[in-house]
Amino acid sequence: MQSNAALEYDYTVAKLFTYTTILFGILGMTVGVLIAAQLAFPELNYLLGEYGTFSRLRPIHTDTVIFGFMISGIWATYYYLSQRVLKVSMAESKFLMFIGKLHFWLYFVGALAAVISLLLGFSSSKEYAEFEWPIDIVIVLVWVLWGVSMFGLIGIRREKSLYISMWYFVATFLGVAMLYLFNNMAIPTYFASGGIGSIMNSVSVYSGTNDALVQWWYGHNAVAFVFTVPIIAMIYYFLPKESGQAIYSYKLSLLSFWGLMFVYLWAGSHHLIYSTVPDWMQTMGSIFSIILILPSWGSAINLLLTMKGEWNQLTENPIIKLLVLASTFYMLSTIEGPIQSIKSVNAIAHFTDWIPGHVHDGVLGWVGFMTFAGLLHMAPRMFKREIYSKKLIELQFWLQTTGIVLYFTSMWIAGITQGMMWRAVDEYGNLMYSFIDTVAALHPYWVIRTLAGVFFLVGVFIFAYNMIKTMTSSKELAQEPKNQSPMAA
Amino acid sequence: MFHWLEKNPFFFSVGVFVVIAFAGLVEILPNFAEASRPVVNLKPYTVLEMAGKNIYKNENCITCHSQLIRPFKSETDRYGQVSLSGEYVYDRPFLWGSRRIGPDLHRVGNYRTTDWHENHMMDPKSVVPQSIMPAYPYMFTKTADIDTAYAEALTVKKVFATPYDAPNGTKLGTLEEGRAAALEEAKAIAADMKNKDVKDAVARGEIPQMIALIAYLNRLK
Amino acid sequence: MISLVDAQGYAKIIMTVVLVIILYGYILHLYRSEKKGERDYEKYGKIALDDDITSVPIEKNPNLPQKKEGEK
Repeated sequence: MQSNAALEYDYTVAKLFTYTTILFGILGMTVGVLIAAQLAFPELNYLLGEYGTFSRLRPIHTDTVIFGFMISGIWATYYYLSQRVLKVSMAESKFLMFIGKLHFWLYFVGALAAVISLLLGFSSSKEYAEFEWPIDIVIVLVWVLWGVSMFGLIGIRREKSLYISMWYFVATFLGVAMLYLFNNMAIPTYFASGGIGSIMNSVSVYSGTNDALVQWWYGHNAVAFVFTVPIIAMIYYFLPKESGQAIYSYKLSLLSFWGLMFVYLWAGSHHLIYSTVPDWMQTMGSIFSIILILPSWGSAINLLLTMKGEWNQLTENPIIKLLVLASTFYMLSTIEGPIQSIKSVNAIAHFTDWIPGHVHDGVLGWVGFMTFAGLLHMAPRMFKREIYSKKLIELQFWLQTTGIVLYFTSMWIAGITQGMMWRAVDEYGNLMYSFIDTVAALHPYWVIRTLAGVFFLVGVFIFAYNMIKTMTSSKELAQEPKNQSPMAA
Repeated sequence: MFHWLEKNPFFFSVGVFVVIAFAGLVEILPNFAEASRPVVNLKPYTVLEMAGKNIYKNENCITCHSQLIRPFKSETDRYGQVSLSGEYVYDRPFLWGSRRIGPDLHRVGNYRTTDWHENHMMDPKSVVPQSIMPAYPYMFTKTADIDTAYAEALTVKKVFATPYDAPNGTKLGTLEEGRAAALEEAKAIAADMKNKDVKDAVARGEIPQMIALIAYLNRLK
Repeated sequence: MISLVDAQGYAKIIMTVVLVIILYGYILHLYRSEKKGERDYEKYGKIALDDDITSVPIEKNPNLPQKKEGEK
């Protein structure tokens, strides 16, 4: 082997996933704005005939954002930072390089097929797992390839100890694999019936209440393992690296990792609300999950303390601004979740807009900002050019922050309004409102929510423009920046 | 103690897996046997109803409509009797939904008729002026996939021992019998409808999606 | 006889208590062993900062094949 001077980290696969993050981000969020607008202005349902109704598009929004934008973002950052914290280049192994590229292309083809199948009206109606069985098989293969790629790289690492980010990536891999496999267990009816009917149709192996239990065990935890665990992996690397400050406490990060794994174990207790489990057990479960949330907050506090004495960077570096706001939103949505799982709150909040409100302050604020910050940090190192414009990042930051605040405030009010109207009774104990009254009352909030979506989406377009300019026409860098990412004013 | 794990990826992964897998076992398994006992008199879906359920499933009706009446007076007043676990045992997948942009449909068959659905699906605003639901005119012309529904019924009969062809239960029979029975059921529904395309199609021996969907919605009681 | 659902409830509570004890015991263990000077955990935080391919690893992976060990 030759001297290390010639050896460099190889970002080929990371770049490919960066492109799809931007592509699917724009696609998924544009559809999101469209369906938000459809609720406020129902005429918009008829733009594309049967392919444009809210019911067809909603899974496309959720799945494109989760499996397109987010999974791409996870893998872009994974292929970037895993090499660095393991101190081994993908260029050192032809096999891993091949697996990495195969991983990307299979993923890309699968993702496109998934979007098309949903548009054509193939759906298993299990939320965030709507894909029919042939696409599920592709997804499993893609996931296996990631596993081979990750454990392969770990196998040839130079750094003996795995960095914090790698713990979270390993947990993501295992968690999603387990959840996805069990939830999507289905039998294709074409084969089971001896060749009758559509080849796409399948029937879930679980039925009724059991299917619901499995689905929400998946639904809750898959969101956790796609929207929380890998995002923590990112921030544990990008915040220290960008700010030049080592993580405040490695011990605290160890603790919060295992704490988080334990919390997710029990956070599912809110699925038992209004089930046959005795009341006192549900209450005990809630109390303990609130106690256990303290270690999960450990991560957010740890990251904020990492900035101790360096808060001036917050005004100087917009990437730090995105990262710090991301941790703050993480704290907000992880306290909101437990509140919603308190029994009396759940009675009002369930089935209302408060739930999408909760999801979005997490995904827009925490996940979105973290992903944008990560890609912006990676760009100068991958493309060896400085970031095209600092002003555009600032503009994106303020537009999107406004959008998020508008989004969750309008959804909180809409959710509580509708929840209260459903149960409002007059002096004789009769229901005060017909169902449609409670829908009509939400119109103003749905308009605000659409506007919020537009704000965020414009920010995404600005981000995409900034990234493309950085890739193609920004000033070239002579050497890799150490910490703060260089950017033109 | 634990720090050893970070240097040994294999045991680290095993540790993480054990911790996260345990929750599933404790949370889900104990309810399995109990929740799969059907309520008395519950019959499996007929082939036509199954086709309707598949339309409901493929069109993601659950994004706006729940099928779960919770134990509150405000819900039972509005939608009917509280939903019981045993009522769902033939639902694969479950269709509870998670957001009520529109009303709950678990007992919609008790208070809506074929005629109401026909008007509503063609133009929701003609029935509920403030409605934000999209119209589904194409379901009146597209043909329902009866064969797939039959295949699904046969699959659940064979694999999960769903009691088709039991005395006083739902008859399934052969594919030809299944198709014929679905057409008979469809004729009864078409008799209550006024849409000409639908009536013509049934006269030709075809079953439009709308009939299958209405058969399913009428069954929800 | 105790039903499966009751058993589930008890199992949950017992497990939760045990996990809380383990977790908080773990904190004590971490801080105590660093105080006594047995271990320095904080040095691992530097893995993220000093991450060039030419950087010297905090702890070398002994499982690497020999030819890669040879380089420095």
